[in-house]
Amino acid sequence: MTLDLFSQLFVNGLTTGMIYVLIASGLILVLGVARIFNFAHGEFYMLGAYATFALCQVLQVNFFISIVLATLVVALFAAICYRVVFHPIRGNLLLCAAASMGLSMMFERGALVSFGTQERGLPSAFTGVMTIGTLAMPVEKIAVILLCVANMLGLYYLLMRTKLGKAMRAVKLDTEVAALQGINTTRVYGLTMAVGCALSGLAGGIIAPLFSITPAMGHAMLLKCFMVLIVGGLESMLGGVVGGLVIGMTLSFGYYFLGGLSEILLFSIIGVILVFKPGGLFGEAVEDV
Amino acid sequence: MGKRLRMCSMKLRIKEVTLFIALGIILLLLPLIIKSPYQMHLIIMLCINIVLGMSFAMLFSTGLITIGAAAFWAVGAYASALLVMNLDLSFWLALPLASIITGMIGLVLGSIIVRAPGVAFVVQTMVINMIVVQALGQIGFLGGWGGILGIPRPNPIASIKFVSKTHYYYLILFLLLLTVAVFYGLYSSRIGRAWRSIRLNPRLAQTLGIDLFRYRLLAFIIASMSAGLVGSFYAHYFGTIEPGTFSVFKSIYIQIYGILGGLNFYLMGPIIGALIMTLVPEFLRIGKEIEPILTGGILILLVIFLPGGILSLPERMGSFATTFLSKMKGKESFQS
Repeated sequence: MTLDLFSQLFVNGLTTGMIYVLIASGLILVLGVARIFNFAHGEFYMLGAYATFALCQVLQVNFFISIVLATLVVALFAAICYRVVFHPIRGNLLLCAAASMGLSMMFERGALVSFGTQERGLPSAFTGVMTIGTLAMPVEKIAVILLCVANMLGLYYLLMRTKLGKAMRAVKLDTEVAALQGINTTRVYGLTMAVGCALSGLAGGIIAPLFSITPAMGHAMLLKCFMVLIVGGLESMLGGVVGGLVIGMTLSFGYYFLGGLSEILLFSIIGVILVFKPGGLFGEAVEDV
Repeated sequence: MGKRLRMCSMKLRIKEVTLFIALGIILLLLPLIIKSPYQMHLIIMLCINIVLGMSFAMLFSTGLITIGAAAFWAVGAYASALLVMNLDLSFWLALPLASIITGMIGLVLGSIIVRAPGVAFVVQTMVINMIVVQALGQIGFLGGWGGILGIPRPNPIASIKFVSKTHYYYLILFLLLLTVAVFYGLYSSRIGRAWRSIRLNPRLAQTLGIDLFRYRLLAFIIASMSAGLVGSFYAHYFGTIEPGTFSVFKSIYIQIYGILGGLNFYLMGPIIGALIMTLVPEFLRIGKEIEPILTGGILILLVIFLPGGILSLPERMGSFATTFLSKMKGKESFQS
């Protein structure tokens, strides 16, 4: 394997891996704090991509401003969804999962009806190739990686350094005790949902110039996120980061060398890991459901 | 006293038995009422979905939540199709064999994963489902992503040649009733009581001498077998099978059948849930474009307003009436 090929595959894996990290961390956040296994998470990713597309292409807004606006739109939308759908059945994992499945059905078909089936694409905001020594890498992929890393650092700051983040962690540890300490848990749940889904929408905006935008993109991404969760565990953000990168790299290298068999291999390895560490690599097994 | 009690239970028996006979007659005569093949197809799919929902409910009755029911459905379908097409077995031999093979795979996988508690079990069943779908798609011997085409119809018995949907309907009705009978027997036996006690409180059940692992494994195997049974039927009924049918999303749908009907009703719950999730989209065909939006909306409304499932409706109405009445009484006493 030449260095050139290796670096190409590496950058590809890192790009998709970072996108998985961004989306999966939102999923883990919502699952951990608000106790919602959100099957509609992929749909928010799709909405983010469409919102970016609409702002950028139709209204001719600058690409970066449209990503920010699209993220805010998705966050607002998610907060409304939480208040209307999940608030009455909060705390019940199974019912929330069923309701989010209903949301997913509505959003996917809604996008299909209103945007049509044809694939959309955005022109890239970055063009050109960066050369480091003898290696050539497309600038846009590097930009995606950097954007994702910046966002993950932002999320880290939010969770570890702000009051809201502290409240989220407290609610995750014990909802009732957190409420006794004067934390408005309903507000924290809603904000968590908004932040988690905004991360997903943001990822959709970031990849809009790279991949084609279709109404079905949410479903495919959700399945990939499940894999990330399975590798990294359902509990910790660190698990999400490691899981996302592992999945991204494995799929990038695996598809090149093994073809489709790589996914079976990956799943089997995951299955074996799960037998010995039921909560994933970085999680602890939770006993109650 | 004892005589009166026995009389009472006899009366109840008679009531139940007449209800069952009436239901049975309606189900048997259904093909005379419904003429359109498409509607017949819907009812056949409904029966398949009911059995799958029941297999989910059986695991739920032991406190395990699976998102992998579709995987065992797939195993049954593929096993039966391959047995008939490669080994030239008769369908009537392949049907029970497929069920047994699925049960054996359930035994092997179950003995590994049933020990995992709570969410970990959910995730592991999901992984199994993903592996099965990937394996079916990737391995050429199993048909690849295009699936297996041209699976033969069941071999004719006497003059029944399995050409019309009616014949298939009677077959799936038999399988459905068989499943219901076996499940009912299990639920009302010692095993069923052990399962329910495990669901209510696993630790307490363990202290009472119930082997969690064995009872859960038994539920896993029986659930797999029933899924494999209808899988075999589905393969020969539909004629083609492809991996996409058996994805994780189908498993999530199966889970919804159980939730919608009511999780505390292991037999009736999946029937009602599958009825709604299969037939409501058909009634909404008027707006074919927006049908999933309406189905999703109905699902959300049901989950929010009837968290105990459809079957909890009478109970809820009852409790509503009592609170209403007591409020009225309270008002009266206040006035006087």
